[in-house]
Amino acid sequence: MRRHLYTAWLVFMTLSTLYSCKKGFEALNRDPINILGTTSDKLLAPALANAIWPGMNRNRSFTNELMQVTVAQSDGDNTVFRYAFKNSMSDYLWNAWYVQLTNFKQVDSLARKEKNSNASYQGIGKIGKVWLFSMLTDTYGDIPYFHALEGDQQNVVPVFDRQKDIYLDLFKQLEEANTLLASGVAIVATSDPLYKGEVAKWRKFANSLYLRLLLRVSGKADVQQQCIEKIKEIVDNPSQYPIFQSNADGARILWSGGVSTTDPYTSPYVNGVRAQDFRGPALCSFFLDNLIAWSDPRYVSSIPYGSGSIGRLGISQASGGGWYGVKSGYLPGTGDVKGCYFQSYDNTSTGGTWSLQQNALTGIIMQYAEVQLILAEAAAKGWIAGEPKTFFYQGIASAINYWVPNFSENITAADFTTHLVNLAAASEVWNDNLPLEGKMELIHLQKYYALFMTDLQQWFEYRRTGLPVLPKGQGMSNGGVMPARLVYPVYVQAANPVNYKAAVAAQGPDEISTNVWWQRP
Amino acid sequence: MRSTMKRRRRCIRCLGLLFLLLFNGATFAQETVVVSGTVLTEKGEVLQAVTVIATRRSDNAHKAVSAITNEKGIFTFSQLKMGEVYDFTFSSVGYETQFHKAFTVKQAGNSNTLLIRLKSQSEDLNEVVVTALGIKKSERSLGYALTKVDSNQLTNATSLNWTDALSGKVAGLNLIRSGSGPAASSKIILRGENNLTGDNEALIVVDGVVINNSSGRRSANRSDQVYATNSDNLPADYGSSLNDINPQDIESVSVLKGPAAAALYGQRAANGAIIITTKSANQKKKGHFNVRYTINGNLEEVNRHPDLQYEYGQGLGGALYYSYGATEDGASTSGTSSAYGPKFDGQSFFQYDPVRQTVGLQRTPWKAYNNINDFWDRGQDLKNNLSIDGKLGSTGIRVNLGTEKDKWIVPNTGFVRQNIGLSTNTDITEKLKLSTKVNYGYRTSDNLPAAGYGNQSLMYWYIFWQPSADVNWLRNYWAGGNGSIYDSLYKNIRFPFSSFPENPYAITNEFLSKTRRNNVTGNVTLNYQATKELSFMLRGSLDWMHDKREQDRPYDAGTRLPTGSLRKQTIYSQEKSYDFMAKYVREIARDVRLGVTLGGSQLKNKYDKTDIRADGLKYPNTPAGDSPYPQIYNLNSSLYGLTYYPDTSRYQINSIYGVINISYKNYLFTEITGRQDWNSVLATPKRTDNVGFFYPSINTSFILSEVTKLPTFINYAKLRASYAQVGSGGTTPYRTAYTYALANGGIYPDSALVSPSLLPNVNLKPLLTSTFELGTELQFFNGRLGVDLAVYFGNTRNQILTRTVDAASGYSAALINAGTVRNNGVEIQLNAKPIVSISGFNWSVYGTFSYNKNKILSMPDSSVLLRAGNIASGQIVASVGGSMGDLYGLGYQRSRDGQVIFDPATGFPKITSNIIYLGNTTPKYKFSLGNNFRYRNFSLNVLFDAQVGAVAYSLTHYKLAEQGKLKTTLPGRYNGIIGNGVVQNPDGSYRKNDVVATDIDQYYQYSMGSYNAEGSTFSTDFLKFREASLIYAFKPTLLKKVGLTSATIGIYGRDLFIWSPWPIFDPEFGTLAGSDIVTGFETGQFPSTRSMGFTLSIGL
Repeated sequence: MRRHLYTAWLVFMTLSTLYSCKKGFEALNRDPINILGTTSDKLLAPALANAIWPGMNRNRSFTNELMQVTVAQSDGDNTVFRYAFKNSMSDYLWNAWYVQLTNFKQVDSLARKEKNSNASYQGIGKIGKVWLFSMLTDTYGDIPYFHALEGDQQNVVPVFDRQKDIYLDLFKQLEEANTLLASGVAIVATSDPLYKGEVAKWRKFANSLYLRLLLRVSGKADVQQQCIEKIKEIVDNPSQYPIFQSNADGARILWSGGVSTTDPYTSPYVNGVRAQDFRGPALCSFFLDNLIAWSDPRYVSSIPYGSGSIGRLGISQASGGGWYGVKSGYLPGTGDVKGCYFQSYDNTSTGGTWSLQQNALTGIIMQYAEVQLILAEAAAKGWIAGEPKTFFYQGIASAINYWVPNFSENITAADFTTHLVNLAAASEVWNDNLPLEGKMELIHLQKYYALFMTDLQQWFEYRRTGLPVLPKGQGMSNGGVMPARLVYPVYVQAANPVNYKAAVAAQGPDEISTNVWWQRP
Repeated sequence: MRSTMKRRRRCIRCLGLLFLLLFNGATFAQETVVVSGTVLTEKGEVLQAVTVIATRRSDNAHKAVSAITNEKGIFTFSQLKMGEVYDFTFSSVGYETQFHKAFTVKQAGNSNTLLIRLKSQSEDLNEVVVTALGIKKSERSLGYALTKVDSNQLTNATSLNWTDALSGKVAGLNLIRSGSGPAASSKIILRGENNLTGDNEALIVVDGVVINNSSGRRSANRSDQVYATNSDNLPADYGSSLNDINPQDIESVSVLKGPAAAALYGQRAANGAIIITTKSANQKKKGHFNVRYTINGNLEEVNRHPDLQYEYGQGLGGALYYSYGATEDGASTSGTSSAYGPKFDGQSFFQYDPVRQTVGLQRTPWKAYNNINDFWDRGQDLKNNLSIDGKLGSTGIRVNLGTEKDKWIVPNTGFVRQNIGLSTNTDITEKLKLSTKVNYGYRTSDNLPAAGYGNQSLMYWYIFWQPSADVNWLRNYWAGGNGSIYDSLYKNIRFPFSSFPENPYAITNEFLSKTRRNNVTGNVTLNYQATKELSFMLRGSLDWMHDKREQDRPYDAGTRLPTGSLRKQTIYSQEKSYDFMAKYVREIARDVRLGVTLGGSQLKNKYDKTDIRADGLKYPNTPAGDSPYPQIYNLNSSLYGLTYYPDTSRYQINSIYGVINISYKNYLFTEITGRQDWNSVLATPKRTDNVGFFYPSINTSFILSEVTKLPTFINYAKLRASYAQVGSGGTTPYRTAYTYALANGGIYPDSALVSPSLLPNVNLKPLLTSTFELGTELQFFNGRLGVDLAVYFGNTRNQILTRTVDAASGYSAALINAGTVRNNGVEIQLNAKPIVSISGFNWSVYGTFSYNKNKILSMPDSSVLLRAGNIASGQIVASVGGSMGDLYGLGYQRSRDGQVIFDPATGFPKITSNIIYLGNTTPKYKFSLGNNFRYRNFSLNVLFDAQVGAVAYSLTHYKLAEQGKLKTTLPGRYNGIIGNGVVQNPDGSYRKNDVVATDIDQYYQYSMGSYNAEGSTFSTDFLKFREASLIYAFKPTLLKKVGLTSATIGIYGRDLFIWSPWPIFDPEFGTLAGSDIVTGFETGQFPSTRSMGFTLSIGL
């Protein structure tokens, strides 16, 4: 019998060896749906759209509330306008932008592979990274930067870097992008919802963004000189550092203007915000009263600027009629009755495509007007040559023209001279004799409107300059002081605890009142 | 075998002698006669060594005499006194004690004989149990813990999901139910979760077919999440084929708790196995048929409610007036979902008028409508089952037919189910046997409720509804009609208040989730007995499932779907496996038997899903007053074009294994196993070096009572020990290579892509679990008390975890092999029969106790985030020294003596900025106690069970509290509140809180709302009145007259009462998470229910 056993064992072992036990496993465990390798052009379009959306989303629910564009009218927990919000407010941008940064990083790195080498995609990937990293650091302060995005290299607990080091490297990246894009290597037009493949415009965007970031940290003594020199160099060398020349150069995704759920370029406000939520917040009197005082073409509903029933910003009159906003920062239970609000797209009689929810123009990354107002500030401070007044007026005109196509971008046109008269009535015209603070107030009130709908830029600029001067209500938290940052997402305390603690030790308490590096004197 | 019998007989004879010595005291010189008799088993076999005790009625029990049956089953009393009345007791190990009462001893020569049949005990010590791969083994030879649950324990008090009946009956079993609708699925965890994010549930095996990963696979639709405040669809629980098993068809369920099962089932049994055996033909006579018909009906109703307040109505900030829309009384206060408004004080306000569909023309009385729970229906369920079994030629056949029709507590939801099962056993030749089992199930539903917390969910509405509003206002949900501001009928859904929730009647009638599902599970087994020693087995198994699902959404279904939506999925899944096994058994020396088994298997699993969506539908031009639904639900009606979301999975596991069994006599058994698996999910597109892994096990059992003489009250003592290892690579493929996914369902030009958010692991290795287990089984007092005790020590290394990572790494989650986790525990299973009598009152008790302690010994980083909650930064974190399931979140700032610190400016509690430990989400202890009372033909069964030591975060509670809907938010309205705690003085010391918080919304927001995870974290300890059933079995003599062999009728109740500090419905909730059901975060759970029903069973 023992012999039988041996035989059986032998047969068994032979059989199992012959029949290979892992044959074909390589092919079997290859995902038949998702794709193993790709190229930069496949990644760029969704990366851009998916990176713009978080900024648009938080522009509505966060920036507008802090900056007194709107005042939420909903239940108790949404009191951003009172500077009282929950810590979980922090998670969204951190999670959304860092994940998109991976896509931009790959747009850059895949274009560096020998087989698919493309200098333009390298430059564009870098611009995308600089854009998102700068917003992240301006929002949170010190953040993972040099060792961020290394998950695929087994580093899921990136160390946090100091904001100053981050900024200096962002500048470096933009220099490189400017060089890479100079070659003008063609890219796939459909991969580029920003410029449809016009590489030269990407180069202008790189340098315009450069100006934004230089100005942002130009108040810091340890880098000020370097910033001023660089701004001057950019402005003085337009062929080496081209910047935006008109609204046609501005960085933005033009949405389709429709409401399809399957068009990738349907405004995400349509599919991402419920209509009733979109028209929920009341307009704040600070934002609205200036527009009314200036008879601003962006809000007026009369033709030619408006449709006859509604203006370009889609502001709806108060129910029962009238143009008034509510005051922000009020004590709980003492709020004004809701007046004007941003119309939602479903009210087609007055809203529809005229509603900001459906409007094709809301996918803003950076506008020409912002560049002009940056230059106005630099000129007013004497850092660059040129008339601050011209930059200032061009900023105003372009900012209006962006939203109101019937309003000329040309500052010598009749539209603008009429507008200047309206501004003069509200004492908002340039005066070279004003002290610098006065000029800054002028510039930054207009910049506030120019940055309308531009992610969190109004808030960043307020934190840098304290402008425009916002009225303060009785009900403010945080000592009535504008939050200086968002706290780190709470889950990072568990997901990356060691580096989190080190970052808090270096930067200061993880509170909304802790100033980031460029805010400190 | 014979020698063991002899040995046993000797033992029992000793016992008998002992009795004789003790009780056979004084005998008087009265006329004595011989009384004798025979003891047989139920099957008619003679039973030797039965102890027979005769007690004379006129004496006390001490004067009893005893005898023992011989090899022919005959006992003899030679000294019983003529004319006296005796009671006889018959007892033997492994059999139920029998009585023969009031026997009068007659004159010598008359029939002083008795014929007694002993019934074998259900806890038969020689019982054969089904272990892995359907191998039957005598229970005494098992070296590991196995709990068997009989069919009647499953059917006495059935519920919608038969697995509910396992609660409280198996020590160490933790059932996690989704509770999401009539088809709600559940998952079974044995011995604690040692792997929180990966595969952690028990293997489910039905007649040798593993169903977990095919028909038993739970699958939610992509993007359907239970927390979805973006207005998108919420998931319905479509159930799995595990629910579809007809409990009437189950013969037995064996629960193998440790990894010991894995030696034969392979890696997927690493977390234990539930082995379900369905009934086979058991009619022995040719041409005769057993027929059994069972009908079971029950009603289901909500068994627990949150404590809602009905003192204040809709409003914010303690408003003193109310106005629906802006009226002459003032601005609108009807937009809010909060109930911090005016007190119900007999006043009148302008309110909603359901007829006008807008504000009323006159002020109406401001009053509470305590009728939110009128929304729930009474569930109804009816099951019919017919089974026929018999023998035709050399083939035994059993056919089982079942139907079920269910209406659930949510209006317009339910399902219909049909099952048919066929099982055959054929003796082709004496040596070659063929058996087959096939079960086909068909389930269809026109609507299953969508679960969770989101604009489309019912529980969202439940939370947002107002105490000052009447639920009946919502019944007519379409806006429009005569004089309406809306453009037409059937386009706009009316909801009077805040725009966040949907009208619940619109949800139940128009937001439909449909399913039509077929599944077939079956196997064919060939057994060939080559020689007496050598046998072969060959088996093919198939588990196949096809499901067509559809979600319909009408116009105005929230902002994401303003023009409605149609989504259709077709799901096809299949698992095929082949098993080969050769077995050689021989007595190699005197009393030593050796068994060698070699086997191999191959399984192939395939899953395909297509998901086609038309998120936007064309509305017909002329509805002509009729609803255009459901004609509109057609892919041709797509307004914007279709999007596709395919999903697929394929994997293969090949295995070979060997088992060596050695037994010595009938009391020492040892089993050694080794298995090698090759799992394709560990392969990368480039290499396969990690795919194979080997794991051994050894287990031994020793029947102490066979060897040594134990005190007489111990009848049986078994000791067992096992050490088992099991490797596992999981069953999720395609996680070993970096891949790009189609962006947004492929809507971008040029098929644009996005990087993955889950970081794959190119070096994925199998995990390794090792468990050492010691156990004992003891029977005392002739089987009146039985205890099964198991102690285990387990270690899992290289767990395969999905870890939530800092997004700064560029990814949201990463798949890792991580750390070492220790899982130790104790399980006790107990049964006792305090009162036993032949025809009178019987009482038996059964109970379970389990304790599990889980400790994380190492992790790749000091803390690993496993799961993040949605609110207040609640999260499940694994850190060294902690245990799996540790819940962290923001909580109250506390002074050194533990008092809550309040803000001196606002009076609100202060919240930490760092996460703090809030408790563990896995219960430490679970126990149950059941009682069975039998009197004549009546049987009453009651079961209680409990768990202790876990906490969970309740989203429903946070939101209800935040909106002022709970009674706990009543204090302080109008006048303010001083929280119980301290405030800090300027010098840093603390004083008792004396600051009045006047902003009551915010006060409760800080205390229990979204700022604070601790404030809505509660203990999930509970005591449940789990089951009660009363069954009457008709007398066989009576039944014979009407031609029946058996008939029982019963009534029962399940989940009758819950006692728990948990504030919202059921503390034993589970939450759907994709294909998983998770604990720890309650997310808009449906109400828990009690069911009460009847059952009638008739046998022909």
